[in-house]
Amino acid sequence: MKKYWKDIESLKSKKEVRSTEKKPEENELFALLSDPGKILPASRRDFLKLCGFSIGAAALAACQSKVSKAVPYVIAPVELTPGVALYYASSYINGNDYCSILVKTRDGRPIKIEGNPDSGVTRGGTSARVQASVLDLYDGGRLHGPMKDGIPSQWELIDNEIIEKLNKITEEKGTIVLLTPTIYSPSTEAVISGFLKKFNGSEWVEYDAISYSAMLEANKISFGKQVIPDYRFDKADLVVSVGADFLGTWLSPIEYTKQFSSRRDPEHDMNWLIQLESNLSLTGSNADKRIQIKPSQETAILLNIYKDILRSVENRNANAPESPVDVNEISKKLLASKGKSLLISGSNSKQIQLLVNEINRLLGNIGETILFNSYLRTHKALDTSFKTLVKKMQKGAVNALLVWNVNPAYTYFDRDAFTEGLKKVELTVSLSGSPDETNSSVKYLCPDSHYLECWNDAEPKKGLFSLMQPAINQIYDTRQMADSLLKWTGSTTTFHDFMYGYWVENLMKLEPASHNPITFFDSVLQKGIFEPGTSKTEIIEKHLTPGILPFNSTSIKISKGPTEKTLEIVFYETVALGEGRQANNPWLQELPDPVTRICWDNYVSISPAMAKEYDLKDCDVLKLGETEIPVHIQPGQAYGTIGIALGYGRLKCGKVGDRVGVDVWRMLSAEEGNIKNTGKLEKIEKTGKVYPFAQTQTHHSMEGRAFVREAELKEFRANPAAGNEEHAYNLEHNKSLYKERTYPHHHWGMAIDLSKCTGCGNCVIACQAENNVPVVGKEEVHRVHEMHWLRIDRYFTGEEDNPEVVFQPVLCQHCQNAPCENVCPVAATNHSSEGLNQMIYNRCFGTRYCNNNCPYKVRRFNWFNYSAAGTLTGNLRDKEEMTGDLRRMVLNPDVTIRAQGVIEKCSFCVQRIQAAKLKAKYENRALYDNEIQTACSQSCPANAIVFGDMNDKNSELNRLITSGRRYNLLEELYTMPSVNYLTKIKNKIV
Amino acid sequence: MCKYSHEGKIKCLLPLILLFFIVFLALSNSLQAQNTTKAQVTDTSKVQHKDTTKAQLADTSNDTLKHQLPDSLIYKKIIFTTEEFIRGERLFYGLVYLGDQLVNCAACHNTTVSDTLNWNPDALEISIKYLNKSAYDLSKVLLRPIGKTMKLVHKEFKLTAEDIVLIKAYMNKFETIGLKQSKPVITNLLLLIIAFILFLVATTDLIIKKIFKNRRITWAVITVTGVFITWILAVNAIAFGRSKGYAPAQPIKFSHAVHAGQNKTDCNYCHYTAKISKTAGIPPGSICLNCHFLVRNGTRSGTAEIAKVLGAIDQNKPVQWVRIYRLPDFVFFSHEQHVSAGGINCEACHGNVKEMNRLYQVPDLSMGWCIDCHKARKVNLSNEYYKTYYPDFVSSFKAGKIDSVMIASIGGKDCGKCHY
Repeated sequence: MKKYWKDIESLKSKKEVRSTEKKPEENELFALLSDPGKILPASRRDFLKLCGFSIGAAALAACQSKVSKAVPYVIAPVELTPGVALYYASSYINGNDYCSILVKTRDGRPIKIEGNPDSGVTRGGTSARVQASVLDLYDGGRLHGPMKDGIPSQWELIDNEIIEKLNKITEEKGTIVLLTPTIYSPSTEAVISGFLKKFNGSEWVEYDAISYSAMLEANKISFGKQVIPDYRFDKADLVVSVGADFLGTWLSPIEYTKQFSSRRDPEHDMNWLIQLESNLSLTGSNADKRIQIKPSQETAILLNIYKDILRSVENRNANAPESPVDVNEISKKLLASKGKSLLISGSNSKQIQLLVNEINRLLGNIGETILFNSYLRTHKALDTSFKTLVKKMQKGAVNALLVWNVNPAYTYFDRDAFTEGLKKVELTVSLSGSPDETNSSVKYLCPDSHYLECWNDAEPKKGLFSLMQPAINQIYDTRQMADSLLKWTGSTTTFHDFMYGYWVENLMKLEPASHNPITFFDSVLQKGIFEPGTSKTEIIEKHLTPGILPFNSTSIKISKGPTEKTLEIVFYETVALGEGRQANNPWLQELPDPVTRICWDNYVSISPAMAKEYDLKDCDVLKLGETEIPVHIQPGQAYGTIGIALGYGRLKCGKVGDRVGVDVWRMLSAEEGNIKNTGKLEKIEKTGKVYPFAQTQTHHSMEGRAFVREAELKEFRANPAAGNEEHAYNLEHNKSLYKERTYPHHHWGMAIDLSKCTGCGNCVIACQAENNVPVVGKEEVHRVHEMHWLRIDRYFTGEEDNPEVVFQPVLCQHCQNAPCENVCPVAATNHSSEGLNQMIYNRCFGTRYCNNNCPYKVRRFNWFNYSAAGTLTGNLRDKEEMTGDLRRMVLNPDVTIRAQGVIEKCSFCVQRIQAAKLKAKYENRALYDNEIQTACSQSCPANAIVFGDMNDKNSELNRLITSGRRYNLLEELYTMPSVNYLTKIKNKIV
Repeated sequence: MCKYSHEGKIKCLLPLILLFFIVFLALSNSLQAQNTTKAQVTDTSKVQHKDTTKAQLADTSNDTLKHQLPDSLIYKKIIFTTEEFIRGERLFYGLVYLGDQLVNCAACHNTTVSDTLNWNPDALEISIKYLNKSAYDLSKVLLRPIGKTMKLVHKEFKLTAEDIVLIKAYMNKFETIGLKQSKPVITNLLLLIIAFILFLVATTDLIIKKIFKNRRITWAVITVTGVFITWILAVNAIAFGRSKGYAPAQPIKFSHAVHAGQNKTDCNYCHYTAKISKTAGIPPGSICLNCHFLVRNGTRSGTAEIAKVLGAIDQNKPVQWVRIYRLPDFVFFSHEQHVSAGGINCEACHGNVKEMNRLYQVPDLSMGWCIDCHKARKVNLSNEYYKTYYPDFVSSFKAGKIDSVMIASIGGKDCGKCHY
């Protein structure tokens, strides 16, 4: 049997080590009773005081029942029924991130985001960032209204001043610059072009912090189109990715995860994924084969692949240096699946992207897996244009700068040049909705509304449109960016009317059947998307002539590899935080990184071999240049490289995100005008300090028992139960003393396909949003008090230096022989007649016996008053201010807010089960298959989670759980879980 | 032979007698408590007369005071219609809107036999005094009082002659039926204190003083008082937070008896979300307007109360009703489930609302109450949903093996059906 390990210590020692240093110290337990601010050992006196107080408080609280009011509407809105959820189709646009969504609102408050299954781009999937975006709406740290010089002002006054100044600058032939991220909203683009027309001599500069500009430039040369193509991972039998984390962060991860996982079905044809990278990324963790490389080796490796392919396709020779890794196998595989493969690179170097394009052309992938008709529009910015702007600003050649939704004072590597230039600009206006490092030194703040308060449209891919509509009125005195621009250009229409006009004029003709503009617009608004004639795509692709400039491999410069001693740094964005836009979102901050399982921090990832060499331990603090940053020893990190996440260490984003982690944007550099995501480091300096992480890795150890089962595709083809032999044995040998329970009517269950799950963390946040799971903060996570009902376990297998990774979402298993139920002294947890393990909060009095007896460790205890629920005040632990009136608006009214001192856990979203059953009874029918979706299954971008009735013989769930791959976690304990796992099938290259 | 002296025996018996007294009081008290709850259910007027809510909205139609001559015809009226009688009653209990003044006779003049001293004459006394006098004499006392206290209390009463005649007509009722008897009330708290003192005395005696030689009696006192204290604490603890019979004053004197009873308005007309949502919903002002756009006068105090609704809509300020039925936050109850899917009448839980002038809470909303109903209610097996998922029940029902399936048999007792 394979040995699985979760961290390095447990690999080395036979027995899995529980890290003792991470346990709360003894005194700390007593400190629970005293003031959370200062941790002092509490005395017996304090305990008695507390007892006396609580009895007194209970008595007082009971004496008087509160008179509660029932306040109806004066005039009831037509569409709104109190207590019934309404869904609005909309779009999530945050910088380069896009998702077509449905917004769930209850009594006028958006409370949950679901994916829009009709969308041709994201197909009902979401990401953790999308799920968490609803919390950003209720961020009290957002700008509350227009400001001038940091003093609150009024829109009219500010508008007049800005218009006056803009006009003056235009008259004096000055330069006005509008600085935005890539804008892919057609109407906003039209507004901006109107703005540019009105103010003659003004410029529009697009700037993306995470840059893909080398790719754009290379595509311009290779294909004559300065666009990012439409990658089709669903059409590729073989994906070779050189440092591109396309399942986690690269370009359009939701879309790519949907496509990729559709090909991870071992019953049908399975694709291959070969990942060459330095950091252990989410994509690398899911790869069938992962090769560790240094970033400086990318060119050499690609050239060798090019050489091999050129030789066999065009029978020509090319020069290539010696390859650092053996690429023969990759080349062979690529040639074997010509036209059905995909080579991508995450590098921001033009020559590498040119090389990648040429290889793809040789393989005949253009027009097959790389399409151009509906190319990606979410990344259009060129680094050079921003660089030119900064230079101009430094020269004082820019008279007015209007910034929206970009934060170069934080994300630009040469931020000093930018801030210096900003001081020389006469008129500085920021249209961003939240405080950030850039708009803190800007004269006028004209805050944008949150996307859930806005009208907008989007064209994330050419020809695929979607609409955004407000799901709530403006919470603050904010105005959306396009409205501000319209106002300043002197227009009297609102952006909504402008957009409506734009759609009627430009887009209605794409749908020949529609004649009435109102019905056209309303039908699009209802669906959220408008995708006319998507089927035509492929025909035109064939006519695209690649290679406008003939590719010449000799022009490729191979930089001399740095010396052995030099460390190479790879900067990456994390799945949760990205470039740091949503840094003030406590849900995202508390989402453990899929691979390292660390939350609330960034760190230096370093390989175990290097750690030994430099005598480094986990949590040691290093000095890199001027920044001090702790170390995390990461198996799978390429030797000689270190990885650091961007997007942390913000200073002015709000109370939650300020000073979380370390800011490393300054360490980036540019090469040929494009910002490189790599760097070099001569030496590592130890500071001698130790910095503790909030890590969820060692907290939920399953004590070394094998529970992730996997097999190779070949073995699976021969025997569907490959790797899962134990299951049959257990089925036969498990016996219980108790009478077997039956669930003849409904028996709710779940299947989680480990082959499909990529471990992206979307389900964790979806569950948190649906079930009012509290945020506990870094300190509490460090004390093993995190509250997530659904966690994703990550296990390593194989060599310490180059491990394979498996992910396993673990939630309450809803066991039929549940160990937790037997030990509860008050029957607060018991079994329902439909096979659910129920948790009754109002009965629970917190013995935590169930938690101790649960072999899966999925029960969570409310150590403190995290949610401000319950009658007793005090003991509130809410560092992230999640219990304020505004933040609480995100709570789901269908799920109880748990008070201090009770256990909570996954309920299989019983509120959704109840709602669907009621609907069926009301409509006098049986339930449809997949009608009931839990929060985790509904938005899974990989379709890895399927929920349903195990008794329904025709359901999709039944098909999965009757397959040979089905097994249960720790089935030797005979707990008989209702959650079933399907073995992970890897498509190994032999 | 008796070991103890005669004197000692009496000493021993004393606490026992006291104990019997307590038990007797407790029993009578609990019996009476039941009676009073019953009385509350049947006699809503008793609840209503506690109302001292000040009418807030000004009404100009009613403040002209007509001084009638003593021999005016009005005072000689003898025959009254039921409507007039009811108006008299409402005037007496202060339920009629009279501009900015507050006239509530029942506030000072008892209508029940009181166990406390009340220096004011009760309703019976007044009715006897004025039985053979003219209503004009009554009006003199009401409008031009002489006594010091009366001057203060009856200050600025602006009642019309008709009003006074009707009040007198109503009061005459007391002469024939007398005042309502109310039993002496000894609160549980008082009993608890006595029992507790007794318990303490007995315990102290047992341990320290040892006055009573007969330990058995001391033990008996301790046991009985102990049990009693525990029982009363338990009963009260269970009743914490329950509010059966809760009938708070509402900002608008809305009568379900008038709307649902007399005018036969369907419950779902106003509470239109009961069939489609978790909550039955308090009707928005716009629903009231559907009728009250035209209907602006009521037969009794309606005009003023309707004016409040209209005023709320004019000012765009919602009416702040006091919520009566309220479940704890950890309980999920869906009206849609019970009304639409279950087909349960509103009356099953809310009682005979059609006869309630002021709405009150009928059930105690305890979990036992919910479960009792789930055990006793039948499932509609003709629904396709049950046919699909409960074929075993449906077939044995058809075969005549069972005559019904209760909600509890299909999971109606599962915790997770309501608590999640």
